[in-house]
Amino acid sequence: MNNRSNDWLVGATVLGGMATIVAATLWLQQAEFGQKRSSVTARFRDVGNMAVGNQVVIRGVQAGRVESIALADSGWVTATMKLDPGIKLPPHPVVLIQAATLFGEWQAVVTRREGAPAIREVYNQLDDSVNAPRGALPGAVLPDIAQLTSVAGGIAGNVASVSERVRTAFNDSAARELRLTIKNFSTMSTELTRTVRTQSQNLDIIAAGVRAGVGDLSAGAAALQRSIGRLDSATSRNEIAQIMAETQRAATNLRETSERLNAISRSLQGSEGNLNSILTRTDSIMRRVERGEGSLGLLFKDPSLYRNSDSLILDMRSLLADLQRNPKRYINLSIF
Amino acid sequence: MIEAIGRGTREAMEAIGSAGRLTFEAGRSLRDVRTWGPNFSLQARQLGVDSIPIGILIALFTGVVLALLASYSFTGAVPRYLVGTLVQKTIMLELAPVLTGLALAGRVGANIAAEIGTMRVTEQIDALETLSFDPIAYLVVPRVLAGTLMFPVVVGVAMFVGLFAGWAASLVLLNLSSPEFLKGARLFFDSFDVRYGLVKSASFGFAVTMLASAAGLKTRGGAQGVGGAATSAVVQSAVMILVLDAFWALVWLLGRAR
Repeated sequence: MNNRSNDWLVGATVLGGMATIVAATLWLQQAEFGQKRSSVTARFRDVGNMAVGNQVVIRGVQAGRVESIALADSGWVTATMKLDPGIKLPPHPVVLIQAATLFGEWQAVVTRREGAPAIREVYNQLDDSVNAPRGALPGAVLPDIAQLTSVAGGIAGNVASVSERVRTAFNDSAARELRLTIKNFSTMSTELTRTVRTQSQNLDIIAAGVRAGVGDLSAGAAALQRSIGRLDSATSRNEIAQIMAETQRAATNLRETSERLNAISRSLQGSEGNLNSILTRTDSIMRRVERGEGSLGLLFKDPSLYRNSDSLILDMRSLLADLQRNPKRYINLSIF
Repeated sequence: MIEAIGRGTREAMEAIGSAGRLTFEAGRSLRDVRTWGPNFSLQARQLGVDSIPIGILIALFTGVVLALLASYSFTGAVPRYLVGTLVQKTIMLELAPVLTGLALAGRVGANIAAEIGTMRVTEQIDALETLSFDPIAYLVVPRVLAGTLMFPVVVGVAMFVGLFAGWAASLVLLNLSSPEFLKGARLFFDSFDVRYGLVKSASFGFAVTMLASAAGLKTRGGAQGVGGAATSAVVQSAVMILVLDAFWALVWLLGRAR
């Protein structure tokens, strides 16, 4: 075989081998050409046992793979996931890392925030956003089977301890006491039945009373309903508003009247002072009159003055009568 | 006894020294392309292309056996699709490079050692030196280059064939469905697996051809010396393959596992 044949054969083998290796690798990686795979980053405080290449699941369907896991600042770990072409994230997405099988296989589940299991620790991890990397989805690690079995182991130990204590406590005397207790319980049950029967009869009577009371209440409720109906109708015809307006006007008038009464009262106080003064003076005058002082006192006390006055009045009357009869005697009227 | 220890130590140091010297000279002779270039494709065909059938044969049986072993081991709660995982990981990371390397160590190592050894005992190498040919550039460099390049090609084909054989065995012998096997094979697949296997096989090719060339160049005597050189080349190559396998696992695999 000449050199040229050798070259061709070697070249073909190398190319064929490389093509085989590349094709097999791409096939196993499930690479798809011509379709753009979107990338999503999530942040965690801890990624558990998740590793590069683990599957990403949305609603139970494989939707991509974990591309990279890296430590970030402020105690965060960021995981980048490549999603298959055409995959859309759910609204308000969060990423939960959990064991996929019992054999150490883990997966990243992208779900709605409301879809996260109601575990306080998980919600704390999702809510933890102090200095979180920007643009990264919140993530949390669900407890794996080892933790669960550890907790279950603890519970099983406690149950075993309790059952051991029960076994120790439940000896022969406890059994006898239990038997006696059961017998007492039977007696008590009979008594209880009798009591219940009696109370049942009482309850019937009470129920009848309650029924009558309920009837009364029903009638009262009907009356109340009618009143409310009237009130509703009054309200609906605007009478309440009119009453309120009139009441307001009456209150205004009352206020004005009160102010006038106050003014009258104040003027009456002044008048009362004047009256008191007048009465005092009158009283003084009357006392002087009583004592017969002054002209008026003399008039009242001296009979001669009264008689002279009476005589004067009589004279005046006769003078006036004479004037009426003979006016020319007293009046001389001349014109020119 | 003390003398024997001293002699053993001296011989070991001499072997390391001569291997280092040969490696250095081969590196230096790389510049002499006009000497080794015409021989390269012939060596690549003999060491690589002609070795593909044996690589395929080994991979076929290895894939089938691996699938059966996995099925035998995974009982009870272990999911059956992990058969695919075991076949993929084991073939790519370990069995295809190592088993193919060992097979090629026997075939290629013995061939190179016998060929160069015969040339040495028949004084053809001396004749080359007389004609101003660099025997390292003419005999060693094309073989080492061909081995380093073609071992990964043969191993790559073996990887593919081994995986395919495991798949076929799972379908036919284990009643496993294709989606199950592929799910397992793809579940933990990483392109690193392929890179690791190919780099490892390239180092095997380099070691096998270099050790065989050194054994051939050191051949003394007649036909018996040639036979001894061939045997020595195969044994040293096989041991070196296992040593390099452990070396790469410690240096590269352990680093990634952490």
